[in-house]
Amino acid sequence: MFNPRPTLILALSGLLAGAAHAAPTRYPLTVTDDLGRKVTVKAEPMRVISVLPSNTETICALGACSKLIGVDTFSDFPAQVTKLPRVGGLYDPNIEAIIALKPDLVVVSKYGKLAEPLTRAGINVVAVNPESYDDIFTKTLLLGKILNRQTQAQQVITTVKRDVARVEVLTRNVKSKPLTYFEIDPNPYSIGPNSFMGVLLTKAGARNVIPAALGDFPKVDPELIVKSNPALILGVDLRTVQGRPGWKAIQAVKTGRVVEIPMDLNTVLGRPGPRIGQALLGLAKIVHPELFK
Amino acid sequence: MALLLLLLAAAVVLGTGLGSVRIPPAEVLGALWRGLTGAELAGNDVIVWQIRLPRVAMGVLVGATLSVCGGAFQGVFRNPLADPYLLGVASGSALGATVGLTLGWPAPLIPLLALVTALVAVAATLMLAREGRRFPPTRLILAGVVVGSVMGAATTALILRGEDRARQVLAYTLGDLSFSGWREVLTVLPYAGLGCAALLLLARALDTLQLGDLTARSLGVPVERLRLIVVVAASLATAGAVAYVGVIGFVGLIVPHVVRLAWGSAHRTLLPVSALLGGTLLVFADLLARTTPLSQVGIVTTLLGGPFFLYLLRRGRHD
Repeated sequence: MFNPRPTLILALSGLLAGAAHAAPTRYPLTVTDDLGRKVTVKAEPMRVISVLPSNTETICALGACSKLIGVDTFSDFPAQVTKLPRVGGLYDPNIEAIIALKPDLVVVSKYGKLAEPLTRAGINVVAVNPESYDDIFTKTLLLGKILNRQTQAQQVITTVKRDVARVEVLTRNVKSKPLTYFEIDPNPYSIGPNSFMGVLLTKAGARNVIPAALGDFPKVDPELIVKSNPALILGVDLRTVQGRPGWKAIQAVKTGRVVEIPMDLNTVLGRPGPRIGQALLGLAKIVHPELFK
Repeated sequence: MALLLLLLAAAVVLGTGLGSVRIPPAEVLGALWRGLTGAELAGNDVIVWQIRLPRVAMGVLVGATLSVCGGAFQGVFRNPLADPYLLGVASGSALGATVGLTLGWPAPLIPLLALVTALVAVAATLMLAREGRRFPPTRLILAGVVVGSVMGAATTALILRGEDRARQVLAYTLGDLSFSGWREVLTVLPYAGLGCAALLLLARALDTLQLGDLTARSLGVPVERLRLIVVVAASLATAGAVAYVGVIGFVGLIVPHVVRLAWGSAHRTLLPVSALLGGTLLVFADLLARTTPLSQVGIVTTLLGGPFFLYLLRRGRHD
């Protein structure tokens, strides 16, 4: 049985890739950042510091890795950024080190408190936080605009969407979509279907046990999980789950379909950046191993 | 008293019957029957018998423990602000849990480590506060503050080093009854039971102590030994509770005061009544935590307990 859909998607994405050609950014440029601040970039930034791993990855994917002069403790991809000076983490940033590097732009997270002291020190700061699935694309465009890499931003988006489509083609028409509980933290916290990780879980061919009404990263009542009786449990090991009161009755625990997420996959899953296609592929291989034999 | 028992019964019934999953009353009763008779548990039975009921039992146990210990501490230190965490039990426990979590220890070992560090914290406080063979109340309180602060700082440093674990540690320190099963209840029971039993037996001596150290001594109460025994018993009970359910604030501080306002301050009534009321309150608070976005029982107790207590204070002013 020939299914025309996959070829169509791939053909369309090819068309999109060819059409991507954007104008250079005109400076001075004023944008509204994720803290709601009006930020004016006077000229194309040449000395950039990124203090969020997902932004670091996006900046490098835009071909602007050479602009980076410093990154936070957790930025580790692509490999070349590990050689850059470290300026601390989200909660313990080294403001002096940042200022000493003389950046012309610091891309911060909206969490943490970097924007204000850096602005006071006369350093241009922009807060960028991709959070939802769609944010990944809008923030890529925003960073592309700020860094004068708009054509590359279009290309990155095309590539990411193509990577995602390649997995979706396989998972979309799969016969059974296992009811899945994804634990991101043993308290237990899970992911709602509208969160960026929740979107990936759905695209990987799973049905999320968490209703959208509970929010993006809800703390869940264990009895809810026992009640919904998922066929697959992710993000926690079988022994832990067996030790929880009442969880031995869950289908996934009975059949041993309880899978811990490998460290490297966990990292890309937690970063709304250019590698989500890979993250989705890794997740899909766990949810539907039969598709990737 | 009868009213309190009724309230506690109501809390247990509601706590077992209500939750995020809707289960009709008949089915709840059926589940209890099947659980008691050891029959095969099917469907919602698991939720009622293995999740809700132990959770309610843990609520009663921990609420009662914290309230009794809080009342005993307030009595032995003659300080209305004393609560069960006064001597560093909570920060010791949190430090242990954080160390366990950052080292990636398996889940069942975390409470054990927390229990050990909680007891270490109390031991450190006692050593710092000692003056020869005496344990002056003020020195005990100050030593507790110091030990608590040092351990709290160590915990914070650890959390910042492993940021991805921050929420786990935070949730742990906020107090939560989520994964309390029968095994956990039975693990906490000996600590809580022994500690509280000792305190209830010492109620009369605590009454005498309210007249002041000198008077108590002249009445034949071994003041120093009493203080030490109360501290050790209460810390043991609290450490057991904290290690398994985290730091549930406010209950141990407030419940004894509520009881004093309504039933007077003789420890012979204060301690048992506090146990009843504390157990009841915590079950209700956990029910709210389970069925509303407030999410954790520690948050509920503090959010609702504060205003309620202020209202009682204003009403209780007859001066």
